[in-house]
Amino acid sequence: MITGSAASLAARWSRIPKFVLFGVAALVQIALLAVMIIDRAQVLREGAEVTLQTRPVDPRDFLRGDYVVLGYDITQLPAGPLQNQPSGERHPLVYVKLTPNRDGVHEPVSVHAAPVPVASPEVLIRGRVTYGASCGSKSDVFCEKLTIRYNLESYFVPEGEGRKLEDLRNQRKLLIVAAVLPSGRAAIKRLLIDGKPVYEEPWF
Amino acid sequence: MMFDRAYRQRLEADLARWEADGVITPASLTAIRAALPPLAPGINIAVVVAIVGGLLIAAAFLAFVAAHWIELARLLRLAMLFAGVLIAHGLGAWFARAGQPVLADLCAAVGALIFGAAIALVGQMYHLGGDFAGGMLLWAMGALAAAALTGSRGALAVALAAAIIWSWMRNFEIDVPHFAFAAFWLVAASLALAWNSRVAAHLVAVAAIPWWVASSLQPQLHFRPSFMLANGAALLFGGGLALAALAWERAARAGSVLSTYGALALAGVAIMEAVMANEVFRGHTGLANQPLWIISCGVTGVIFAVAAAVTAGRISTAFDAGAIGLVLAAAAAWTPQQTGDPWLAYAALLCAMLCLVVSGMLDATRPRIVAGWLGIAGVIAAITWAVKGSLLNRSIFLAAAGAVAVALALVLNRFVPRARE
Repeated sequence: MITGSAASLAARWSRIPKFVLFGVAALVQIALLAVMIIDRAQVLREGAEVTLQTRPVDPRDFLRGDYVVLGYDITQLPAGPLQNQPSGERHPLVYVKLTPNRDGVHEPVSVHAAPVPVASPEVLIRGRVTYGASCGSKSDVFCEKLTIRYNLESYFVPEGEGRKLEDLRNQRKLLIVAAVLPSGRAAIKRLLIDGKPVYEEPWF
Repeated sequence: MMFDRAYRQRLEADLARWEADGVITPASLTAIRAALPPLAPGINIAVVVAIVGGLLIAAAFLAFVAAHWIELARLLRLAMLFAGVLIAHGLGAWFARAGQPVLADLCAAVGALIFGAAIALVGQMYHLGGDFAGGMLLWAMGALAAAALTGSRGALAVALAAAIIWSWMRNFEIDVPHFAFAAFWLVAASLALAWNSRVAAHLVAVAAIPWWVASSLQPQLHFRPSFMLANGAALLFGGGLALAALAWERAARAGSVLSTYGALALAGVAIMEAVMANEVFRGHTGLANQPLWIISCGVTGVIFAVAAAVTAGRISTAFDAGAIGLVLAAAAAWTPQQTGDPWLAYAALLCAMLCLVVSGMLDATRPRIVAGWLGIAGVIAAITWAVKGSLLNRSIFLAAAGAVAVALALVLNRFVPRARE
């Protein structure tokens, strides 16, 4: 019976015109690409704005192709109470509570292994620990210091402009404004040089 | 298809000779030719030239786009990427309708490659460089969907390659083996079964091996790589044999392909186990830390092989089950902490590889014979090369093993009827 139903299914499948099947295949792939873009646009549209101070990064990571590697003051943070707590995995997600200082630049308050409630103007941003979750005798607890990626570390620029931005970053004149959703997901919204917007990211 | 053509050429030559020798009548010759199913359309020279032309035009287009990439507006760039995917699949549909399945398959595969490039470029344009492994998963899913819809073996190959990279990257991020790949692999295996395609079965069987290698290399899990790989090879080989013994023809075909790679993997593991006896690799963890799921895989492989041998009543499969059992026994019995050479493990590995050769000869399965001979050669080389223990002892062991083999050969020659020349 199973063979019979499989055969009838195969017969029905073979009756579908080829251009429909190939067309659906193309549409599925285009839809997946569109999801990437729409998902980011949603973060830009609905996210709370957070201004972050960039900082120089390891010189070996300076320029790869035509994108600038951005490090932030919130990239390396003390684990605080998280230290020696079970990390669960080698690169766990963590949530960093941020609050704006007098200049409007957001600074870290605390790091958490799970989302915590925050009150405005505080914002919770989500990141993934790249170093600092493999301490202890079994390499399964948080270390004293954490290195965290927020998906804000790469910024692609027209060829030749990377060096200029790097120099500004190294002089601590480069800030970014990120959009952060309540879930903690973030995307770069605009770049500021000396507090003035230079690159504004369109939604699409 | 390629083998079909080679067989037809040989058959034609034989038929002509038999007719000339008077073995068959011209009427029989005509009847045999009429009984042969028509050959699937292949690639002729015109098609090859057309493919080269198409590739050159595509390369010219890509170079043109790359030269003007920065000047183009972002939405225009995006539209070009979408158009690339659409054109590849549109051409595929056109070739499929025109009765050119090979070219249609190729177009779907090119479409899957363009889709992968589009993911990278969208990531670049929209600053989404954070999760490379996630991008590979997206690529694998899109290519797999295209493969399922269009029946393209090329798109399946792209999907499996992307999924392997995804799994390798995730494997080194997490603390447990990346079991999500198994789900992807099972979907791909279902496609191979549904298509009843030998090419797809080969692709799926090959794709299983990198996952086992990556999982065995996770340093934080303290697995013993050779033990884990032995269990993985046992599951692949035993599973393949069990499928091959089924009455369901397409499962049996896929199973025979899987068992080929299982046999090769088993031979590879046997060599690895013999090499790991070397002092250089001492200090690995013992068996105490090996997780239950790994051991279960090996046991399941043995059960599959034994069940296949019993239900099919084939002596060759019983030899295969023996080979699996012996490699597992060698992996389990030998612990790196022990002093001296693991003579019993060496003997078990040599016997296991001999079982593979015998099984391959009984079944007339050349890949299994090759796997067995490679295993024997590798294990002997590893025993000779080992720097552990004394060279004299190893010489005595090899001489004793050789003497036992010669004695066995004499006994077999006396009691087993020779095959007709």
